[in-house]
Amino acid sequence: MLRRLIGHLLSCKDASRVISRMQDEDLSALRRWMLRMHLRACDGCTRFKAQLAFVREAMQRYRS
Amino acid sequence: MTPEQFSADCESHRGYLTRVAQLQLRDRDAAEDAVQETLLAALTAHASFSGKSTLKTWLTGILKHKIVDAIRRRQREPIAMASFEEEIDLDDFDALFKRNGGWDTPPADWGDPEAALDRHEFFDIVDFCLEKLPANTGRVFMMREVMELETDEICKELRITANNLWVILYRARVSLRLCLEQNWFAASAAAR
Repeated sequence: MLRRLIGHLLSCKDASRVISRMQDEDLSALRRWMLRMHLRACDGCTRFKAQLAFVREAMQRYRS
Repeated sequence: MTPEQFSADCESHRGYLTRVAQLQLRDRDAAEDAVQETLLAALTAHASFSGKSTLKTWLTGILKHKIVDAIRRRQREPIAMASFEEEIDLDDFDALFKRNGGWDTPPADWGDPEAALDRHEFFDIVDFCLEKLPANTGRVFMMREVMELETDEICKELRITANNLWVILYRARVSLRLCLEQNWFAASAAAR
């Protein structure tokens, strides 16, 4: 119950923005914690994070 | 390696370099000029190519500087944020989520995406998806992910705020992810 509440601190919409921004800058410990809590409860965003990391890797491969 | 061999090797990357420059500069002539300058600079700097990175990566590094020079040489018009806004309505992205902020259609399972990196057809799809990005959004994304410019460098070059930049990159990444899912990974899943 508590975990679900904590997971709701960040919506998937907000989480997706945090995930993208993490590729460009370091975020606060609080933000990172909120995201971690959300990801524990959310397969969709967990996939989104992995897929964005893959997109970056694909672009690195694209240029080399 | 002889200068002739090195020159031929560099030349073999002309197509790729032109595509990258074209996506950045949106101007065929300017792109070809930048690539030509790159290849000339490469020949001059032959001795400094240590072979630590691949030739393609090294050439891309030179191209990056030529593209930045070309952008600077142009009429110094800061790209108005309005032109980015026009390209993608924020509503388009809100539509990916439900009213409560949850995914409307969550990201699909991509299986083993690494396997795609060995397929040249995958990079044809990457090209397709990059081309689909609206002009300025695509340009900013390439500056970040291919040219590997730092965020403050991009902001300075294009005279946009850091916040503008994050929004643009978010839009680019979300669009690209969806495009790759629809045109590669979902198709592969159907075949499984």
